[in-house]
Amino acid sequence: MHIEKTAAGCRLHIEGEMTVSSAAAIRDEILAALPAGSKDEVEVDLSGVSEIDTAGLQIMLQLKRRCSARLRLVNHSPAVLQILDLSRLGAQFGDPVVIRSGEQSLLQS
Amino acid sequence: MMNIDAARNTFFEEAQELLRQMEEILLAFEAGIQDGEAVNALFRAAHTIKGSAGLFGFEEVVGFTHVVESVLDRLRSSAIDIGDELVGLLLDSGDHIGTLVSAAASGSPPDEAALARGGTLIVRLRTFLPRPTETPLAREVLPEPEPALAASGGGPLGGVDTWHLSLRFGADVLRMGMDPLAFIRYLTTLGDIVHLETLCEALPPLEDFDPEACHLGFELDLRSAASRQEIEAVFEFVQDDAQIRIVAPYAKTEEYIALIHALPEDPARLGEILVAGGALTRRELELALMAQAQTAEAGGRRLGEILSDSGAVSAPVVDAALDKQKRGEERRAAETRSVKVPADKLDRLIDLVGELVIAGAGTQLLAGRTRQGELIESASQVTRLVEEVRDAALRLRMVQIGEVFGRFPRVVRDVSRELGKDIELKLSGAETELDKSMVERLGDPLMHLLRNAMDHGLEPAAERLVRGKPARGTVSLAARHESGSIVIEVQDDGRGLDRERILKKAIEKGLVQESQSLGDTEIDRLILQPGFSTAERVTNLSGRGVGMDVVKASIEALRGSIEINSRPGEGTCMRLTLPLTLAIIDGFLVGVGGAHFVLPLEMVVECIELPAAGEADGREYLDLRGRVLPFLRLRELFEVPQSAPRRQNVVVVQYGGRRAGLAVDSLMGECQTVIKPLGVLFEKLRGISGSTVLASGEVGLILDVPQLIQAATGREGRPLESAARQRAIQS
Repeated sequence: MHIEKTAAGCRLHIEGEMTVSSAAAIRDEILAALPAGSKDEVEVDLSGVSEIDTAGLQIMLQLKRRCSARLRLVNHSPAVLQILDLSRLGAQFGDPVVIRSGEQSLLQS
Repeated sequence: MMNIDAARNTFFEEAQELLRQMEEILLAFEAGIQDGEAVNALFRAAHTIKGSAGLFGFEEVVGFTHVVESVLDRLRSSAIDIGDELVGLLLDSGDHIGTLVSAAASGSPPDEAALARGGTLIVRLRTFLPRPTETPLAREVLPEPEPALAASGGGPLGGVDTWHLSLRFGADVLRMGMDPLAFIRYLTTLGDIVHLETLCEALPPLEDFDPEACHLGFELDLRSAASRQEIEAVFEFVQDDAQIRIVAPYAKTEEYIALIHALPEDPARLGEILVAGGALTRRELELALMAQAQTAEAGGRRLGEILSDSGAVSAPVVDAALDKQKRGEERRAAETRSVKVPADKLDRLIDLVGELVIAGAGTQLLAGRTRQGELIESASQVTRLVEEVRDAALRLRMVQIGEVFGRFPRVVRDVSRELGKDIELKLSGAETELDKSMVERLGDPLMHLLRNAMDHGLEPAAERLVRGKPARGTVSLAARHESGSIVIEVQDDGRGLDRERILKKAIEKGLVQESQSLGDTEIDRLILQPGFSTAERVTNLSGRGVGMDVVKASIEALRGSIEINSRPGEGTCMRLTLPLTLAIIDGFLVGVGGAHFVLPLEMVVECIELPAAGEADGREYLDLRGRVLPFLRLRELFEVPQSAPRRQNVVVVQYGGRRAGLAVDSLMGECQTVIKPLGVLFEKLRGISGSTVLASGEVGLILDVPQLIQAATGREGRPLESAARQRAIQS
């Protein structure tokens, strides 16, 4: 994961696995980048997420809870899209995602 | 990562076990033994493999097994009949699942040939299915199930219905290497998830959150034709620490209310979810919650009582619950029946017990010297108990040889098809126990002997009839204990060994000289020579360069021997004699000068005083009650420096039907011996098979009796290695 500063806050790039094996490390990095009470706008680039499981989903949910409307998830990788579809949490995050053909089920739920 | 490898390995082992079961059942079908329970067992096996494979994401296994399972399901519902063709197809399919599972185990995708084979099998399997497109997963538009409150709560017996599943996984599920979302993904293979809500209320703030624990819960509605058992089976791996609740289609409102109260989340939130999923209408929810509140106030009765009083919980639900409970008990019972222990832990235990036996013997020896009666008694009691512990520890490693035998019926079936011979396999003594490490290493040699018997031994049916034998050939595989050894016989009722041809071939290959005159047994044993194969026609089965010499080598590596008994026209019997275990032997301790040697006790026949001996062609013989007994002087053999005492003894040893004497200075009696293998340096040393630490702390060398007998009788008289090296060990 690498973090870059933007005008309004910061942008997080999450790379590789977001699974139980890397969850602790990702959590620590996020905590370091976003101290409690921070009012930064946070953009998370998910294009590099190769694999995500329940542990990864939990991290995303917590990010959302921590930053609520200040969080923007962008460039969802296929793995992320798939898990949002499966858990029906797409609406909860409320970020626009690109739906390719064959991934219509996001709309149906 | 954590326990995932362990869980995977369990899956691979279980899959192999289940495939073996399927094979057994299918072979029984072929033999005409049929019953409904067997078909169910087949189905369950395939189903379990598919389910577990799904959890680990082995898509190839799931995909293929699904088709097999569908065919078995039709068989189970008697939509199709089992016939030879189907049995053959299912056997092949089982093999293919095995291939896919092995590929998954090795982490590499199955090779092209395997995939092609799978494709062909699927096409053939599909012919047993109604129409290829009509899988249960077809997404049809179905009428919404009526929220009929009057209907039974157990769910209808067929058709596609909506189940409500409430999943709360244990906090450790991720650490166990399983992903809750993978279960949900797998549920989509059983049907459609029409509604799903992920509950994240339990998720603590980022700061005090354990990223490796699972905090999410799921409420979902699954539209599926699957039965309760099938849905439950999905969660079999996590059942113990997860709360999985399944509400049947058309359940009564009360059941949902009960669910709401059983779950940790806020009832109102759960109620909303159920309403959103269509399980309840809002009005039903309100009425039910109100009614329950009233009843609770009135009598303080518990919800369960209300449910059973009003007949809300119908028979099927209760049955399902009871069934689940019963299965849980059965599983627990099975768990207490056997415990899986890694082999290396057992080996360590046996090693320690071996040392304990030696130490105990030492103590007893010392106690004996003190001449204190009580101490001696106590020491001998300890020794006796330690010996019992040793026996018990060794038995832990003992497994039934049936484990190996189990795979042979299939081999015989396949080979008999391939060769066009009608062959019956008779197994006996499958319950004979021997050391696990031996069992594992016996499989291949036995397989080879069996194939040889079928391929070379048995004549084609026509030839058998001409000779007045039944057209059906018989191959038997028998195991039994015999004086401290295991004897395994592979016998056929075929044509017997063709000695003339063997001899001709051996002369051709330069294995024997034309002038040599050999006895029948010696000719028979020629087939054990490297590079010997008499098959006139190289068949698919034998004659691939792996000959009997390989069998002989692998049996000898187990400290066993092969004996061949063949009668022309009547058949051949290959007899393997093997020790029970490789770790500990009862030894017989002898002394030559200052050196100690241990002989395996079971090979010792008797001890006599060394009489005046005659000598002939460089070897020594003595007269043992009128019989000629060749003998070796260990002093000369191992070049023990001290000069011989006035009186010497001869230990008569026997192995593989041959006897010889070993001249030694003193006889010291029995001793427990833990075999320590010789180091790499001494591996090639002949006459010595290992070493051991004696009770006195001295090193004793374990003699390789079979080799010594050979040297004494000179039949395969290869000279022993130079004794100079022997001295190197002792110094």
